[in-house]
Amino acid sequence: MASFLVRNGLILAGLVLVPVFVGEFWAYQLGLYFLYALAAMGVGLIWGQAGILPLGQGMFVALAAYLAAYGLLGLGPSPLAYLIIPAACLAVALLGFVFAVTIFRGRLEQGPSFSLITLALTLAAFQIATTWSSVTGGFNGLRNIPGLPGLDGFLDLYYLIAVVLALAIATVDYLVRAPIGALWRAVADNERRLAFFGYDVAALKAVAFGVACGLAGLAGALYAPQQNLVTPDIAGFAFSGDLVIFAAAGGRAAVLGPVVGAIVVGVLSAELRGRFPWWEIAIALFFIVVVLRLPGGLMTLFAPLKRLRLARSPVPRPSQAPDKPRIATPLTVAFEEVCVRMGDVTILDGLSMQTGDEAVLCVIGPNGAGKTSALNVMTGALPKRGGRIVIDGVDVLRPQPAAVARSGVGRKFQTPSVFQKLTIDENLAIALWAGRWRGIDLLLPSLFGWTTPLLDEMRRRFEFMRSGAKPASDLSHGERQILELSMALLTEPRLLLLDEPCAGLSHEETAAVIDAIRWARHYLINLRIIIIEHDMELVRRLADRVVVLHQGRFLADGSVEEVQGNPDVRAVYVGGTR
Amino acid sequence: MESLLITQAINAVYEILILAVLVLGLAVVMGLLNVLNIAHGEFVMLGAYCAYLVQKAGFPYLAAVPAAAIACGAIGLVVERFLIRPLRYDPFETLLATWGLGLLLRKLVEFGFGRGFRSVDIPVSGSISVFGEAYPIYRIVLMVISAAVLVLLFVWYARAPTGARIRAMVGNPVLAEAVGIKTRQLARNTFAAGTAWAGVAGVMIAPLTPVEPFMGLTLIVNSFFAVVVGGMGTVTGLFAGAGIIGGLQSVLSAAVSPNTAYLAMLLLSILFLWQRPRGLFPRS
Repeated sequence: MASFLVRNGLILAGLVLVPVFVGEFWAYQLGLYFLYALAAMGVGLIWGQAGILPLGQGMFVALAAYLAAYGLLGLGPSPLAYLIIPAACLAVALLGFVFAVTIFRGRLEQGPSFSLITLALTLAAFQIATTWSSVTGGFNGLRNIPGLPGLDGFLDLYYLIAVVLALAIATVDYLVRAPIGALWRAVADNERRLAFFGYDVAALKAVAFGVACGLAGLAGALYAPQQNLVTPDIAGFAFSGDLVIFAAAGGRAAVLGPVVGAIVVGVLSAELRGRFPWWEIAIALFFIVVVLRLPGGLMTLFAPLKRLRLARSPVPRPSQAPDKPRIATPLTVAFEEVCVRMGDVTILDGLSMQTGDEAVLCVIGPNGAGKTSALNVMTGALPKRGGRIVIDGVDVLRPQPAAVARSGVGRKFQTPSVFQKLTIDENLAIALWAGRWRGIDLLLPSLFGWTTPLLDEMRRRFEFMRSGAKPASDLSHGERQILELSMALLTEPRLLLLDEPCAGLSHEETAAVIDAIRWARHYLINLRIIIIEHDMELVRRLADRVVVLHQGRFLADGSVEEVQGNPDVRAVYVGGTR
Repeated sequence: MESLLITQAINAVYEILILAVLVLGLAVVMGLLNVLNIAHGEFVMLGAYCAYLVQKAGFPYLAAVPAAAIACGAIGLVVERFLIRPLRYDPFETLLATWGLGLLLRKLVEFGFGRGFRSVDIPVSGSISVFGEAYPIYRIVLMVISAAVLVLLFVWYARAPTGARIRAMVGNPVLAEAVGIKTRQLARNTFAAGTAWAGVAGVMIAPLTPVEPFMGLTLIVNSFFAVVVGGMGTVTGLFAGAGIIGGLQSVLSAAVSPNTAYLAMLLLSILFLWQRPRGLFPRS
């Protein structure tokens, strides 16, 4: 907390002292670029953190600016005029949230589609702002907008804008270090994995977009009294593009990056555009270099400042995580005549099987038998074309990853799926928070200190997890497998789906994983496990019951010995006629 | 009234064919290589400036076709080598990089030629009577050439070995490489062919539109959304996208207003991007 206050106090002091060094006129000019910085910071938040590139933030700036213009024209010198700024900011933030949640709902990994939607929207907004003259004043815009009451001269408004910018920086600084910031970075890294932990990915992304729009709204609401003029230009494609360039040039991943970008690029452009015609060519080239080689942007230059340790996050105090609500009965799953087709290929051809009393069910079958597909269709990763999937007694018509996860199903994928760019501790924390956070928990940094006996046990068993500050991308394949297994266990599922948990592991690692699974099935009272496995040695050591699949259908089940003695199973594995 | 309808119908066909020609290069690059080349409009703009220069130098207008193809193809090669390939043809990264490229090309042309409009004379002037209505010959010529080019290209793509290689590369790059297809060169050439064709399209439309550094921006919007609506990487998709966007624009512009047509096109594109991001006829 102390470093947070020192850091942001210094920024505030710096911004307030600027006029002393540059004079009144320049301070006034800078005020405009501070507003651009606010909007660019929103771009940095949604793009640099959550990985979603917005190409139309100008639309939200413009919307707030027009709203504020009408408010100021209507209220005149009444002190109520100050309410316009938070009101316009909130209205635009809410609109952005609702828009984003509508687009994101029910879809994962939309890729560049969302960016193109925002681009189309800002093109439409510009067109409407230009042609709807009766409301927007058309091409010439709304003019003679009064300033905020009581703020005379250039400097008064500058101080207001400087304080707002400092507060916005502190807010964003707080958010990206809070649990929700880690979740945003997890969205950028691996949306699917996050959904399979039961997180509402659409809501997480929409909140990030809403905050970004709120920042754009703040910029727009202050733009109207600062410029005394609102024209369609700020709704245009070019301005939205400029905001992206500011964020990229300054460094989209750092809190201050977009601010530095807006001020440096913005001010230099305004000064040099007229004098040096090639200036904008240089900016375009610099942008391309940033995309190709310098994702950190200008903030890379400030890297040495890290030694001052002002950016350090405090080490959270360990605390016991709240218990998940316990459900006394194990979770059952039944497949009834389930069909899955992709194009002309039949993947599941009327598969019927169900979990029983056994703690560990092993699913075996030759390649292409539909083992992984069965787990995929059950967790909503593949569309079902027929049949019923009954989870915990409920016929689930269209399983969704997050909903299935919330009902108590944990999943470990065949190829290890962790958040590569996040640290080991962040990976574990995200799994631990799933289903345990309530209300405003995701805003509390203390969540990073959460621990459970299961987490302590995993850290005791696997040494690599103790160096938690390492990024997960530094781990070996085997360590990543083990990390993902631990993450799946941390959610304390009632049913754990393991897809070849020991693939690519060394002999020692395999032994350690088998031991950990055996420990977990006794520690977590209601845990049922479905394991897909080829390694019969492993099946023999873990399975209480074995199900054999072949060509998308149920073939046989029973104990390991029964299945191995089954002539049908032998025919499938060894070949021969049937 | 009837003759007006006929003129409208011809106009709609003209808009669709021209859009198909403008989209073609983008559809190749976007649909086959997954590169969201947002600077496509700038290549069309460069082609139009080639036409302007060729005409100004006193050469026959047809000479602008190879000139634009070579100039834009060469720039395409450079862009592929230093921008697209280092970004591993990633859709998101290349969208950003070509955004910067578009900015760069606009500013370079503005630096060289200034911001003013340049006009290119129509190489084939005069008009002929179509069903009793006078219609400019150049537009008819453009329609015939466009239709011919589109048909030839699709026959070539379906029949020629290079077409098969491209399809193999798109379907499974690793396997294609394993059976001896030089995917790196093939991708490079496909990209350059797309930009070269954009240049030729620029030559074709130059006489009918003001030639200025920012003309690419307006063109890219229609083209981009035509690819989105039609679906990437298929011939049917290209025709469907150009047909729907071009037809909608043409009909609504005539019946209501260009403003409404533009907004309707944007709305349709948003609906597609949201509900059917792979378009009507995507590559399976």
